Amino acid sequence: MLTLLTSFKVARGVVFLAVLALVAISCSDFLTSAPDDGDVFDAPLEGLTAAEQAAFVRGDAEFGRRFSPATGLGPVFNNVSCISCHSGDGRGRLENSLHRIGSVADGFLGAIGGPQIQDKATPGAHAEPIPTGVAVSVRLPPPVFGAGLIEAIPDAALIALADENDANGDGISGRPNWTTSHEYVPATEPGGGAGPRIGRFGRKAQTPTILQQTVEAYHQDMGITSEFHPQENRNPMSPVPAENFDLAADPEVPSATVLAVVHYLRTLAPPAAGAESAARAEGKSLFTSVGCAQCHVPTLNTGLHAIAALANKPVTLYSDLLLHDMGDALADNRPDGGASGREWRTTPLWGLRLMRQFLNGQAFLMHDGRARTVEQAILLHGGEALRARTAFAGLSVGQRASLLDFVESR
Amino acid sequence: MPPRARLRLLVGGVLAGVAATLVALHLAAPSAAAAQQRDTTRGDTSRVERPFVRGGVYDKPFENRLGSRTAFGGYAEAHARHERADGATEESGFVAKRFNLFASARVSDVVRFASELEFEEGGEEIKLEFAAIDLRIHPALALRGGMILSPLGRFNLSHDSPLNEFTDRPLVSTELIGVALSEPGFGALGQLRAGKGGRLTYELYATNGFHDGLITASEDGTRIPLGRGNHEDNNASPAFVGRLAWSPRQAFELGLSAHRGAYNVFKIEGVDVDERRNATITVVDFDASAAGIRLQGEAAMASVQVPAGLVGIYASRQRGAYVEATREFGRGLVRTLSNSIFAAKVRWDGVDFDSSLPGDSHAQWTLGVNFRPTRESVVKFDVVRGRTRDAFNNASERAAFLVSLATYF
Ligand code: HEC
Ligand code: HEC
Repeated sequence: MLTLLTSFKVARGVVFLAVLALVAISCSDFLTSAPDDGDVFDAPLEGLTAAEQAAFVRGDAEFGRRFSPATGLGPVFNNVSCISCHSGDGRGRLENSLHRIGSVADGFLGAIGGPQIQDKATPGAHAEPIPTGVAVSVRLPPPVFGAGLIEAIPDAALIALADENDANGDGISGRPNWTTSHEYVPATEPGGGAGPRIGRFGRKAQTPTILQQTVEAYHQDMGITSEFHPQENRNPMSPVPAENFDLAADPEVPSATVLAVVHYLRTLAPPAAGAESAARAEGKSLFTSVGCAQCHVPTLNTGLHAIAALANKPVTLYSDLLLHDMGDALADNRPDGGASGREWRTTPLWGLRLMRQFLNGQAFLMHDGRARTVEQAILLHGGEALRARTAFAGLSVGQRASLLDFVESR
Repeated sequence: MPPRARLRLLVGGVLAGVAATLVALHLAAPSAAAAQQRDTTRGDTSRVERPFVRGGVYDKPFENRLGSRTAFGGYAEAHARHERADGATEESGFVAKRFNLFASARVSDVVRFASELEFEEGGEEIKLEFAAIDLRIHPALALRGGMILSPLGRFNLSHDSPLNEFTDRPLVSTELIGVALSEPGFGALGQLRAGKGGRLTYELYATNGFHDGLITASEDGTRIPLGRGNHEDNNASPAFVGRLAWSPRQAFELGLSAHRGAYNVFKIEGVDVDERRNATITVVDFDASAAGIRLQGEAAMASVQVPAGLVGIYASRQRGAYVEATREFGRGLVRTLSNSIFAAKVRWDGVDFDSSLPGDSHAQWTLGVNFRPTRESVVKFDVVRGRTRDAFNNASERAAFLVSLATYF
């Protein structure tokens, strides 16, 4: 009898625990939940093949991989992984900014640490101080999603938008940044091969291909040599050879790693735009009428591409990818490729809706992150954008609010 | 300070310490006969006596099983894990977590030896966790040398899986202190009476300390556990680790411990090659039982001198803690197993990997139930819910269901 009773008690206990476990398991929130693909910066494009997705997953891991001195970090570097600067694949914050000095004319001030200042160093090595008395360009990390779509827009589409001598007299004279691709970029890569290429990446559109951007990021930002760039980056002012403190043999990553990251960036989807509403429709038409859309061109189209998910697709990036003189206040006075010290690439506005999400509520806008809100960013526009800025400032309070709401919902 | 003066100071300090201890011994020591009886640092620990550290070396079930001079035993641990982060399954499967072998011997009335060999995750990591010779001079003074278990927090001294009520060790133990932290070292331990029924225990060792892997081998920022395994002292400069524990009565103990030493190579063959950089860890621990509830906890703070070029990337201050409560119930509820007992448990644990940042942390709650058919064996059910924050202070939600089996043998 007693045995029966206790076994009943035990059975009750077991049932109780099982129910508890089931409740917990079925409550998906308890087991954590994932945001929608349209609400993140690190989702793959729709329509990738299984093989393309597998390569995406591999590249994702490499993009998130942190390096230590033992695995090749440094000797001089800025940060330990791609994701440490491009938070959640989105914008970075001020602490992650890069400092660039010098230009073609002065050999990028290579003798004092140019073109990029590496402010961190592994034990024993010497970090590069930010020099005084030269033009220093501060660059906030831009988001990296949609890079494949940006790369797949044909040159002709961008050339069609250019108006270098302002023939139409609207005060806006966008032009491409004509650059040459690094020789390690094969002609088979979009934007690769000999001859002038339109730069698309970087705050001054100074880099023509994702491959070059990635190889240089490994090399310059993290001090990681690759088969594309096997020579370690050094601090030229270091009194001892940097090799003394380099714990890993070069190249520190194989081409496969770099190419995995390239594929990952290429197949990263931009986030979805926010819901449409009547107020947003008003904001959208103001965006055009005020003149924002002349530079922040809402939609461009990709051409042919080996990856079907990238071929002939609309790209709703709100940029012409061209250079514009933005006035004295924004000038860094440091030329970059074909870009002058007053010119900047029109920043794509996609993803502004989520920009705070991956910076714990903070926001940094413009090339050096000096603006904290979209409105501040607009009011900083000068030069070719002065007319649009003035028109924006002249709108009624309500109109400004709906324009801002529209921009912040992209 | 010139090295010679430092050495003189060190030797002087040690001598003064020994002298002070001897005086204290003389004052505090119980009569020789009582000392013989109370000797718990010897192998003849009867279960009535209080072990030096509850669940620590020489307080394992196998010690009392065999009549012979040498005892063999060990413990094994198996996990079934299902872990999720932000809506995706991170890990789901089985782990042959640990298989540890103990061997200990009472060589003579004065000399004892104990060892522990650990096989982790199916033999992926094999480690001599403990192998030390004790030379017992007096209850208040024994010398210990070999591969010692560093007395840095009580959990490091007593962490066997069948004893630990939770499937996983606390985050502060695994991520900050690096349990099991064992180092080649040499030093002393002993116990002193402190009032009626109370006592003070101490352990103090010079060890090889950490090596610079805590920075150079770490991809996640400063990680002290990656500086373990300094088998041949990298810098020929000892680290010191010690713990003082006060126990006014059975089932109550308060401990204070610290570990400090240089971790980098700052001198090679007498030539200065770098500045000296120290790692210091301080831990407070407690263990108390009241109203049928056993409360245990630990709080640790680490301070690591980081090379100038890495400041801002590698943390120079970290901290962490855990608190857990267990309540046993249902003894003999399973009629066929009259010694069986259940336990309900709850734990909070967390680490702040960089105290100078708002983010870079991990904290979690664990709730669960255990069933012990006998004292030596346990089935654990754990439900874990936690949150990590990256260096940008972006949160990531984590959850886990863990079931594990652990037994002494
Ligand atoms: C130290 C911070 C830092 C690290 C580390 C870093 N980046 Fe960047 N990234 C930047 C900055 C700053 C820019 C803008 C550079 C400019 O305008 O000159 C940028 C630009 C880019 C761009 C161009 C985006 C655009 O639309 O203009 C891509 C793509 C990119 N990075 C990829 C990577 C990859 C891949 C890695 C890792 C291999 C990486 N980054 C590591 C800071 C960083
Ligand atoms: C002449 C071309 C031009 C016009 C017209 C223009 N912009 Fe811009 N916009 C730019 C350029 C170039 C930048 C990047 C400037 C920099 O980084 O310093 C930029 C940056 C921005 C940014 C910051 C984005 C970021 O992520 O940092 C916002 C927001 C913005 N523009 C919105 C607008 C709005 C709204 C209008 C209309 C009122 C407008 N812009 C008109 C060229 C233009």
